[in-house]
Amino acid sequence: MANPMRIVSFMLIWWFGGGAFASAAFAEPVCVEDDRGLSVCLDHPAVRIAALSPGATELIYAAGAGDKVVAVVSYSDYPEAAKSVTSVGSHTRLDLERLISLQPDLVLAWGTGNPTEQIETLARLGLPVYYVEAHEFEDIARNIENMGVLAGTKELANLEAMRFRTGIQALQERYKEAAPIKTFYQIWDEPLMTMNGSHYMSKAVNLCGGVNVFADSPRLIPRLSREAILLKNPEVIITGDRGELKTDWLNTWLSFPDLVATQRGNLFYVPASLVQRPTPRLLEGAQILCQRLDTARARR
Amino acid sequence: MLDVKTRHLTNRRSIAWPLVVLAGVSLLSIVFSVTQGSVSLSPYSVWQALLGQGSGLNQTLVLELRLPRVMAAFATGGLLAVAGALMQILLRNPLADPYVLGISGGASVAALAAILLGISGILMSGMAFLGAVLSTLLVFGLASRLGNMATMRLLLTGVVIAAGWGALITLMLALAPPYKIPGMLYWLMGDLSYASTPWLAWCVLVPTCLILMPLGRSLNVLARGPLQAAALGVNVKSVERLVFLLASLLTAIAVTTAGSVGFVGLVVPHMLRMVLGNDQRLILPASALAGGCLVTLADTLARTVIAPEQLPVGVITALLGVPTFLYLLQRGRL
Repeated sequence: MANPMRIVSFMLIWWFGGGAFASAAFAEPVCVEDDRGLSVCLDHPAVRIAALSPGATELIYAAGAGDKVVAVVSYSDYPEAAKSVTSVGSHTRLDLERLISLQPDLVLAWGTGNPTEQIETLARLGLPVYYVEAHEFEDIARNIENMGVLAGTKELANLEAMRFRTGIQALQERYKEAAPIKTFYQIWDEPLMTMNGSHYMSKAVNLCGGVNVFADSPRLIPRLSREAILLKNPEVIITGDRGELKTDWLNTWLSFPDLVATQRGNLFYVPASLVQRPTPRLLEGAQILCQRLDTARARR
Repeated sequence: MLDVKTRHLTNRRSIAWPLVVLAGVSLLSIVFSVTQGSVSLSPYSVWQALLGQGSGLNQTLVLELRLPRVMAAFATGGLLAVAGALMQILLRNPLADPYVLGISGGASVAALAAILLGISGILMSGMAFLGAVLSTLLVFGLASRLGNMATMRLLLTGVVIAAGWGALITLMLALAPPYKIPGMLYWLMGDLSYASTPWLAWCVLVPTCLILMPLGRSLNVLARGPLQAAALGVNVKSVERLVFLLASLLTAIAVTTAGSVGFVGLVVPHMLRMVLGNDQRLILPASALAGGCLVTLADTLARTVIAPEQLPVGVITALLGVPTFLYLLQRGRL
């Protein structure tokens, strides 16, 4: 195995600022563009990766580089193997000391989730930072490919990205002609929250032929009154089911018999973990979402 | 109105000794904090790192992460405690703290606006500082409109403006996108993970303490009331203005460094008065040292107690300060 050697050589690079001599011995330099549009270059593929959001963790595992992940943050619960990786705090506040001491050679940061100051500190200390900020299905596939390049697992990553793209295309194809159906996706109960049209979850709704009733809302995550939902009168109300944390959010809607969704019994749960993270599992989430909308169409 | 039993210390030695002891404790708390972290380093390797020896990793941990943060924590605590002591003298009200006149509110509104606009780092600190200055000027301008800055008027103006900032803060939190809210809350609770450089705080703290030294006697008299002070030949108006502006500057810098860390400015000066008496020549420098110790130790706990999860330091200062303060209060020294 070349891994211990690579680690030692990386340490030398990091500590003594040299690097040309070591990288030449193992691999070619690699460069990709991250979600900020900045190019992230490594002298050699990463072998110690820190993933600073649960989503980034899923993406790097999907890229086939799970065995190179040395640091994750709390709630990194998928895949199962990620649970046993050292945690470096929550994504909102990182334990920089612990993170630095794990000597990562690549940091996968979450653009809108990690504190900018802390990520800037990491960059100042010379760590390469790749920003993840997915808004589209294509962003998910591209991030997996990019991570494959950075981690030297291009083949596996490209396969996974392809699987995801093909799956999304199949859904697109299948629901191209589907009858539009007015859908309200409830992200949270109190305060009542949904997402506007530019959110990837709204795009998942569209993919299945659903019409997000709050797509035009100016804010990405609008907070709403119940009146607003009564006014929009969606045909379907969907919310995330948090596994063991069962919610009774949908029962609230039973007391509004004027809602078409309530009249037809179109109050559905989808597994929150599959739809509320921009990761390849979104494909599975979208498939379930589409099934729910099919059920609702059948009740017209 | 400060209903603290005034014990006059005329003897120079009785001022020097408590300060020497506090300085020693301060040094110990700084050394202790630098050796503590979520990664355990032996005191020897910390010492080596401080000398620029040892492994590169240890040097990064100690010189780039721990030491700047510990020094920022100490300076923040010092700034807040001195600002609190000054506000209590100026307003002759034991409930006064550095934030009572809305300075942290102004800074918070500006900092949260920066977070909402996606501004970070030096620019965000700059905006927080401008917010603090704006709030100070607003309170000062409104309170001294008639050329006569009556204390009650100053206090009421400040409290009402603080309430206004509070409403704006709530409004911003209500309208903020959910992913920005954790960062905003941490800022509001006081958090030193922003503090990348401690220099500004130290460059304000040390000269201010030096400026205040010769003012000690005037402040002692002022604490008993403006009429008495005027009768004893103190230029009340100019001393009050200087105190107000200094306290505001100290608070602005503290808030800029670490967000609004609560409780230190209120409690540290009172604790010291209970133990050391109410001589400002002693209380002001002692506040700087004791406030520094409190925040340094609190921040050490904040970053280690449930590591790798990080707590905001403001939580710990209050959790440490409340029982200590109540204990001293029960002993009947106030």
